[in-house]
Parts: sequence; C-alpha cells; structure tokens
Amino acid sequence: MSDVVKETVQDAVEIVKDHAEDVHDHDVHAGDHGHDDHAGGHHTSLGLSNTKLAMWLFLGSECLLFGGLISTYMLYRNRHSEDVGPDQLWDIPFTSASSFVLLMSSLTMVLAVAAAGRKDDRNTKLWMIVTAVLGGLFLSGQVYEFTTFYREGLGYTESLFASSFYTLTGFHGVHVAVGIIMLIATMGMVAKNKISGDKAETVEMVGLYWHFVDVVWIIIFTLVYLIPA
Amino acid sequence: MAIIERPAGDSLTYADADAAVTATSSYGYLRRPVETEGWRSWAFTVDHKKIGIMYGVSAMFFFVLGGLEAGLIRLQLAGPEGTILSADKYNQMFTMHATTMVFLFVMPMAAAFANYFIPLQVGARDVAFPRLNALSFWVFIFGALFLNSSWILGGGADGGWFMYAPNSDVPFSPSNGVDFWALGLQITGIASLVGAINLIVTVLNMRAPGMSLMKMPIFTWMAFVVQFLLLFAIPVITVALFLLMFQRSYDATFFSVEEGADPLLWQHLFWIFGHPEVYILVLPSFGIISEVLPVFSKKPLFGYPFVVFSGAAIGFVGWGVWAHHMFASGLGPVSVAVFSVATMAIAVPTGVKIINWTLTMWGGKLQFTTAMLFAVGLIVQFTIGGLSGVTHSVAPSDTQQTDTYYIVAHFHYVIFGGAVLGLFSGLYYWWPKMFGKCLNEKWGKWNFWVMIIGMNLTFGPMHIVGLQGQPRRMYQWTENRAGEGPFNIATWNLVATIGTFVLAIGTLLFFINALVIHRKQPIAPLDPWDARSLEWLTTSPPKPHNFDRTPTVHALDEVFHRKYEDIGEGDEHEYVQRSTLEELVEEEERNGDAHIHLPAPSYWPIVLAFALPVMAYGVIYTTWLIVLGAAIAIAAMFGWALEPADAEESDFDPPAAGGETSKELANV
Amino acid sequence: MRDSETGTSLNHVNLPNRRARTLKFAALATAGLFVAGCATNAPQDTTDPAGTNAQQIYDLSWPIFAIAGLVGVIVFGVLAFVIVRDRDRGQPIPEQTHGKPKLEIALTILPALILIGVAIPTVGVIMDLDDTSDTECVVNVTGQQWWWEFDYPVQDGCGGITEPIVTSGQMVIPADTNVLIRGTSRDVIHSFWIPRLNGKRDMVPGRVHNLRMQANEPGIYAGQCAEFCGLSHANMRMEVVALDDGDFETWKANQLEDYESPTSEAALRGETSFVTNCSRCHQIDGITDADGVPIVSRPDQQVYSGAAPNLTNLMTRNTFAGASWDLINQDYRDEVWEASPEEFGDLYLAGVTDDVFNEVDLREWLRNSPTKKPMYTDPLELEATDGLVRGMPYLALSEDQIDDLLAYLLERK
Repeated sequence: MSDVVKETVQDAVEIVKDHAEDVHDHDVHAGDHGHDDHAGGHHTSLGLSNTKLAMWLFLGSECLLFGGLISTYMLYRNRHSEDVGPDQLWDIPFTSASSFVLLMSSLTMVLAVAAAGRKDDRNTKLWMIVTAVLGGLFLSGQVYEFTTFYREGLGYTESLFASSFYTLTGFHGVHVAVGIIMLIATMGMVAKNKISGDKAETVEMVGLYWHFVDVVWIIIFTLVYLIPA
Repeated sequence: MAIIERPAGDSLTYADADAAVTATSSYGYLRRPVETEGWRSWAFTVDHKKIGIMYGVSAMFFFVLGGLEAGLIRLQLAGPEGTILSADKYNQMFTMHATTMVFLFVMPMAAAFANYFIPLQVGARDVAFPRLNALSFWVFIFGALFLNSSWILGGGADGGWFMYAPNSDVPFSPSNGVDFWALGLQITGIASLVGAINLIVTVLNMRAPGMSLMKMPIFTWMAFVVQFLLLFAIPVITVALFLLMFQRSYDATFFSVEEGADPLLWQHLFWIFGHPEVYILVLPSFGIISEVLPVFSKKPLFGYPFVVFSGAAIGFVGWGVWAHHMFASGLGPVSVAVFSVATMAIAVPTGVKIINWTLTMWGGKLQFTTAMLFAVGLIVQFTIGGLSGVTHSVAPSDTQQTDTYYIVAHFHYVIFGGAVLGLFSGLYYWWPKMFGKCLNEKWGKWNFWVMIIGMNLTFGPMHIVGLQGQPRRMYQWTENRAGEGPFNIATWNLVATIGTFVLAIGTLLFFINALVIHRKQPIAPLDPWDARSLEWLTTSPPKPHNFDRTPTVHALDEVFHRKYEDIGEGDEHEYVQRSTLEELVEEEERNGDAHIHLPAPSYWPIVLAFALPVMAYGVIYTTWLIVLGAAIAIAAMFGWALEPADAEESDFDPPAAGGETSKELANV
Repeated sequence: MRDSETGTSLNHVNLPNRRARTLKFAALATAGLFVAGCATNAPQDTTDPAGTNAQQIYDLSWPIFAIAGLVGVIVFGVLAFVIVRDRDRGQPIPEQTHGKPKLEIALTILPALILIGVAIPTVGVIMDLDDTSDTECVVNVTGQQWWWEFDYPVQDGCGGITEPIVTSGQMVIPADTNVLIRGTSRDVIHSFWIPRLNGKRDMVPGRVHNLRMQANEPGIYAGQCAEFCGLSHANMRMEVVALDDGDFETWKANQLEDYESPTSEAALRGETSFVTNCSRCHQIDGITDADGVPIVSRPDQQVYSGAAPNLTNLMTRNTFAGASWDLINQDYRDEVWEASPEEFGDLYLAGVTDDVFNEVDLREWLRNSPTKKPMYTDPLELEATDGLVRGMPYLALSEDQIDDLLAYLLERK
C-alpha cells in the first residue's frame, strides 16, 4: 500500500511542479503506461489491480466501523451490575487460546497465498481449508464463550456492558464467518478452475480480508480482555 | 460481454463474447442479458451513463417529494397555530423532508453526475466495477423506496433527521417510522459505500494515458474527495444506525438512560458522520461550478492546485469539527473552545474557493448562460451561507442560534444555495452532453431567476425569524411570542411561505423545460459551450464505449488546448481556433481503437439489491422475511460469481478469432 | 471563435438588476440583523439582552455579524464589478492564466488572520460563561415531556430557603443576582433557553448541566424548549420571572404557606373531585383525606417520565401546561409583560384573581387535555410504555366537576 501512496504523492508533486512551470506541458508523464500495453493483464494508472485497490479501500472503511463499535464498548465497559462484569466472566486462558488459533490461521493464510503465488493449487487448497477450519474453531470458541456468559447471567439486554460487548464481538464474529465463506467459496472455485482472472490475486484478496479480521481481533482482545477496566 | 470489434472499415461490428472467453465458462446458469431496448436494457445495464441517468431521474423524483413535504411544512407555519398538519404528522414531515433531501436527492444527484462524468472526464470506458455500479444504484433506489414505504405503513420517522437518542427509542417514538428510517439509511449507506469504492478505484486506476492527478478535471477531483468522505463517514453512521436498530428491535440498552447510557454517544457518532456529510453534499457542486465558470469565462480555473488542495483540506478538516453541532450539549468549555476554533479554521479553505471563483471570472469573457447564472448564483448564495456559518462558529453566539430558524436559514443557503444551485448548473451545462440537445435557455433563465428569488424569499426571512427566537421543529408558533415591529415573526413566516411557492414555480419551470420544451429543441452541436475538458471529446450523447480512441492527455483543459493554439509571442497571447470539436471527434473516430471491450449487462445487481429491503422488512415485521431475503441475497451472489464472463477481467481479452457478428448484440 | 446561439444570447441578462438585487440583499441581510436589536420585537429576541450573560454573548456576536456583513459586501462588490466589466463584449479570448501563487497565498492568509481575530475573544467568552463560581442562588431545573419543573433546594442562597419549593412553568429568581441553574431531564433531551438572559443549554437525562442566569431588572423573560423533544415540543415553554429582593421574599413566603382549605361549596366539592381524579399524579401539599392523612401523589405509577406538575400554588403562576396557555386573560397578560421594572413585582405577585382569570383555556384543558396539547395518553397506544401515559390523559369529567375543580384550583395560591 505504501508504494501506492508514494507513487501517487510523487506523481502529484511532480505534476504540481510541471504545472507551476508550464501548463501546456505536452509530454505524457513518464509514470503513465501506454494504453496499448495489454501484455500481462490489464493496465491501470497506479499499476495496482482494481480489485486489490478496492479491497484496501473497503478495509479502510471497515476500520471506521470497528472504530465506532470499539469506542462504544470503551465508553460502556464499566456500566454493568456488580456481579456480572468482566471480572466474573472473563476466562483469559480460554480466550487466549482461541485468539492464538485465530492468529495461527493468519499464518496458514500466508502459506495459502504463497502457494497460490507458486501456482501450487494443491497446497493452496490445503492451506485454505486449514485456515477455514482454524477460523471455524475460533468461532466455535466464541459461541461457547457467549453461551457460558449467557448462562452466567449476561443476557444481551442485561446491561450497557453486555449490549456493547456482544455487539462488538458479534460483529467481529460475523466478519470471521464471512471470511470462512469466502475461503470455502474461493477454494471451490480454485478446485473447479472457475476463477477467471489471476488466481493468486483472488487468493491474496481473501488473505487481505482475513488478516484484517485477525488484526481487528488482536485489538479487541487487548482492549476488551487484557486491559483491566 | 460485448466486444466491439473495429476493423479498418468505417462501420462498427459486434462480436459475441462467449466464444472469446477462455478463462471462465458458464455453469449453465442464466446467460448475460443482452437487451438493448425496453426496460430490460435499463434494469440490467452496467453502463455508467445509463446508471447515471437513472440516479438523476430518481433523485429528481425525490426532490419533488421532499419539496412537497417542505411545502406542507411552510403552509403549516404560514400563520399562528397552524392546523394543516397534526403535531405528529408535522414531526414526520420535517424528519422526512430533511432525510429525503439529503440522502435521496442531493447525494444521488451528485452520484448521478459522478457516475456519468467521472469516467468521461478521466478518459475511461466505464467505471472500474460496472456490476457493482449497477448494484449501488439498485441498492439506493430500493433503500429509498423502503424508507418511504413507511408513509403507508404507519407513518414516517418522527425524531428529526438527526434522530437524537433517547427520543428515538421505542417508548418515545412507538410507531415503526424510526425503524424504517434506521434500516432505510443503512441500505442507502451500502449504496454509497460501494459507489465510493468503485469511483475511487476508477479515478486512481482508470485514467487515460497522460492524465496525472493534477491534470484531472476539477469536478472529478471534488467528486473524488467526496468519495473518500463517504468511504470513512458511512461506516460511522452505520454503527450508529446498528446501535439504534438493536436498541429498538432487539431491546439493547445503548440509549437506555435508566441503565446508565449516555445520550451524547449518539450525538458524537451522528455528527462525526454528519459533518463530513455536509461536505459530501456541497463539494460535488463546487466541482461543477469550477467546471462551468472557466468555460463561460473563457479562462482556466484560477489557481487550480489551490482549489484542489482546499477541497482536500475541507475534506480533511471536516473530520475535526463535528462537535460544533453540539455547542449547547454541555461538552465542557475546553472542548467547545477547541471545536469553535477548528470550525473557524475550516472557513479558510472555503474562502479560498470563493476567492478563486471570483478571480476565475476576473478579466474573463463572461457569457451568462443559464449554467453560468446558476454558478454565479451559487457563489453569492453560498457566500451568505458561509458568512452566517462564521457567526455560529463563535460558540457563545451559537448557543443563541442553534436549533433556531437562523440555523435553518444558514444551512439552506449552504445546501440549497451551495449544493442545489450547483446541481442545476450542472444540469444545464451537461444536458447537451447527456441528451444531445440543449435545454431551452430562455426557459432556463426564467427558471434561474424565479428560483433564486424564491429561495431568498423563503430562506432569507428565516434569519430574522431565528434571531427573533423561533426554534426549529415546532409544529405551531403562537402570536404571544411573535412580537411586533418590522421584525415580527408573523410577517416573516408568511413571507417565507410565499417564497416557498415562488421556489416551487421555479422548480416547475425546470421540469417544463426538461420534459416539454426540450422535445422541440434542435440537436445541439458537439461543443455548444466551447468547453474545455475531456468529456466533450466524444459524441453527444457518448457512445456506449465513450471514446472511439482512448485519448492521450497532455494538459489540464485538454479539449481547449486541442481546439486552440496560442500564436502570440512572449508575454502576448493570442488564441486561434484550429479545429472544432466536430473535427476532433471525427479524427478520433477515424483512428478508433482496434477493439473495444465493454462489460456485459447482468441480472444479478438488481436481484441482490432487492434482497436488502426484504431483509429490512423482516427486521421490522417477521424473522421469516430475513431468512427469505438472505436466501435471495445468497442466490444472487452465486449467480453473480458464476455468471458467464467476468466482465472486469475479460474487458481485456483478445477479440473473437472468427470475428463473427452475433445477431443478439447487433444493436448494442 | 465559435459561439453558439446560447452563448451570445447571454448578453441580454439584466445585469444591473442582478447587481442591485445582490447589493440589496447584502444590505438587507446585514443591516437587518442589527436593526433587529433596536425595534420592540419578539419576546425571545436574541439581540435584545436583559442580563449579563446574554449581554456578553451579544457584545461578542454583533462585531462578528458586522465583520461578516462587511466581508459579504466586499465579495459581492467585487463580483458585481467583474460581472459588469468583464461580460462578453466580443473581446478576444483572455490569457489562459492558471493563477498567481503569491496572490493566492496572500488571499488565503487574509481570511485566516480575520478568523484568528475572531477566535481569541471567542475563547475568552466561552471560558467566562462557563464559570459559575460567582452564583448566589441555586435552582434545579428538570425537563420532562412537555413541561419544566423548577425546584429550590434548601440553601443559604436566594436569601435563604428553609423548605424546598417546587414549581413549574415559571421560574422565579431574584433580579440582579447570579443564579445557578442545575439542569437535567427525566426522559429525552430538552434544552433550556431564555434568549434574553443566556444562550441555550441542553438538559440531558443522566447528566447535570450548569448554566448561569442573571436578569438585570425585574420583569418576565420568555423561553422555549429548544431541543426537539417529541410530539409536543412546540408546547414546551417556560418563563423566567425576576423580582426585586423584597418581592422575591414575598414570593418565597407565599410558596411555603400552609394549605388553605376551600371556602366555598363548589371549591369543597372541587377538593373531593381533585382527590379522586387528579391527586394520583398532581401533588398539592397539605391536602389530607377524611382521616387527616396527607395525600401523596404517585405520578411515577401513572406517568412514564415519572412526575407531574405540583399544583400547590398553581394560581401564583400565570401559565399552565408547559407555560403554553395563560391563567390570566390577555389584557392582564399584556399589562404584566409590558410593566415597568418598578410596577412589575406587584402585578406579578397579585397572582390570578377572579377578575383576571382566563377560565376558557383551563376549562378546555380539563375537559379534554389531549385535544388541546398533543400527548401520548390514549390507553390503546401505550404498549411501548407499559400503559404509562406521557402527558395528561382525558379524564371524562362532567361539566359540573369541571366547575367545581375550577373553583377549587382558583384558590390555590
């Protein structure tokens, strides 16, 4: 991403310079590719594929979504009844373990992307399955955790803490679930050779999303579970 | 997918793509639709121009609807103790008026121009993701219809467009109106978000060779900034709307004060979105008049980089001023002081724009077409709104003005005077490009003058009424608080109401011009205004593929420099027209690209979009509808992923080897 | 160069007209704002301060209006000049200049300097207005759909208050005294705003917000809830009544007087009727049942937001139902509102007497309050509040009962 930014900034800076000196500049800027450069896929002004750029933008937007949810939680984290708060509910070893599982899934995702880059379909599929399974494990852990909390008296409508906790972690859980669906769908398409464009890039896109969801979880885990209220 | 095969001959031929596509093959699902006429050609289109027109038509429909709501509001307030509307209906009316005008008129109207003209201005054949573009539009229109369906399902939302908690909670607003509002705006938010990503990628990645960022037409620049604002503002309101939805539909406690909730949470979330939203509304219009003023001044935009950077600066600083909507909320003096000063700071880049527009006209050769009149009208009216804005950036002063009609006056000068006049300027300016005929100028001038008089009669008196202490959102005002003398509330309320009807007549003149008079207008030349930017370097209306030859850009105001040559020497300048646009376009046609790939229409965007309101009705009425909606959505996504020929990828595939002409596609 | 028909026809635009209109509007907008301060205008005129806080705001605001007006005149002047001078008279195409960076930077710095000039005094006033350490009297203000309650806690301030005083609609304060308002809300957000005394301050449930009030002279100052608060937002008004110290003492003493039993037959029947129909929500201090047990209202069991106006001294105030209707007739109202500071105290303290009583509105109110003021009181529509009303419900009183109640209430002072 930083390359993109750098390139854009450079582009802008140079053109401003050109602009100041001579606005009738008739030279095509060196940074621009000739349009008939069709070799090796499609040409884009930035040299970054459209879909990847779109994914980055989407994830940027998602940052604000989670930012809003995390802020809500941070505002309300202390507003709960005496006996059903984090102190009574958190099972740090368990959540650490499930966080570790999710972290590992990022590693296997990296392996899948690498395999896709080598055009190694077999390992791509394999690592994607492993990633999906690890994601599924994490989700099961979350379901288990939610069930336990609910039994201990933390209903969704119980307190401000409860509503904002379930909403924040629930949103994250939905993101993980969507990621798993993406993994499975992509894997199916890899298996059946249904991906029309650059296969490695498609896998990489799923990877981007997956890593983002993981990073968000690390932030949530730290803020929600580790830092005492 | 359609590949336009262009051999050396002069007529275009079209080849069926299926033969050419190698990477994907269909699962045997529905093929891509191919209709080029009738409703199907619109419902399934992915052409950014058709989508732009559909955005525009829907936006205008909602403009009329929002206007009718405004008319009822003004009728109610024409005299004391108005009885045209009940308190309940009045509250719904002003809530829906604002919601409609902001989310269903100005935003989609700006989206219409952005959709239609960004690809043309950057020299692209379409947006980066044509099917997502269609999805954006259909999501928007279904969301808008869903939102307005509340009128026949128990009444519209009644909490004000700002929907402050806890007044928006079920005990205080028991009808389903607020549910429709929260869900409807989530849906239209998805449309904005998808559109924003699409247009940002288009601008960054699809520019024609030679078009560096600083050679981009200014409208594209401003719309580009707006897409970033949308990208980051929409998720924030989405969070707020989700919290509200969970609060109302699933008994969450986010705004339950008895549980210890802080009502200011909603205000912060809403205004962190809400203030950038203001710039989302006006920046496209700033872009439009920054195109129009140079054309009719026969001069380049004065200080183009300053206008670009001040636009970006407004977009940036716009994130740091949200709490100026909350000066009376009890934030504490330090926050108030900080936001007060930050708000003043944002006046600087705004002032820069006004100065640059004035200097663009300075020493020019001014031609007062209707488009130009609307542009100059914007400068004047927006300046008034901007200056009244400065008076309430002063927080203590604002505590006297906020929630009064003075604020209503202020933001109508900004939004109507800024955004709407700019949009009308764009309509008159780009109409011949979109439809091949100019709007009638004589009607246009009547349109302008009646509208401008109407708007000043309507919103001007609101300054007075507000400073005389009339709060907003009151369904009645009373004689006892009206006062006497030249600034009494009664007289000026009546004037404002009369003004509304003048304004309505002005708007009606536009519709007569566009729908009736327009038919008899002659075909416009390709260059009716002596324009300067890239969208004019093609036929009017443009062909489906926009440009026969992808233009190579050498300068800002590319088209001007292609038409004119400076034969002056040294500091002396003398411009001679070397060619007309007709000649230039003919040359482009002669040298058209060998093969042009266009994305094919698709069934799935409209189907996927349709699933959203189904789910939303489910949230309000019965869970089964959520399941049904989700099923439709999943089916649509599979259809989307598996339909033949992924357009984004195959745009660049080699043409059909045989070059056979498919009958189906013969009249694309 | 090639002009289209449309291009050339624009020379016919009526330029002088436009310029005149522009200037006229600029003049109207700016001049109008100032003159507004001088005329006898609406009672909520923000440009007619009557207390130190509002004065401070006004002194800060008007120069900013003046600067804004001046900037407007300059911008429109330049624009008009350009429009007239540079319109297309067939001159050649001007130089394609893209700007003059130095001029641009200068013209960017200029507004920045003006705004710095505005910012400095602004910050000072913000800090000043927030300081409530110099207040000598405390009034708790509570907003509720759709009326304001004022209670005076026991304190040494306000000339000493020994027993809490609870009133509504009209807040009585000593003139020329800094009063601390401690405000909150029982349901949604309301905003307390007496334009001639101070800017508005939102009253937020779950929070207490402070606001300083001061009136230079005895008099009555109109206000209105300024934050949209639901159905009857328009009918949530309030008034601040400033009395000189002696009159304020009289007022306090009157508020704390013991309950006076009804004197007339009708009023006696009215008392019974009140106990039956009204006292579940409305408190009248000192009223007892047949056994001499004090009757205590429990509005929290009937009203969603939890309270109803205390009616112990109803007829010492001039208004009812969120200060939306008057208890005195229009002539007497005018007399009170237009009284000089010297006369004001006596006129106000006279309260509602037989001869100035505005029976019409109160009778309509008792007959069917929800038709007079929109409220949520229909039992069929109260699912969302578990049957609790928001506002005063229809009581199905007979005309005789209303007569008796009016007789009884008229003695509550």
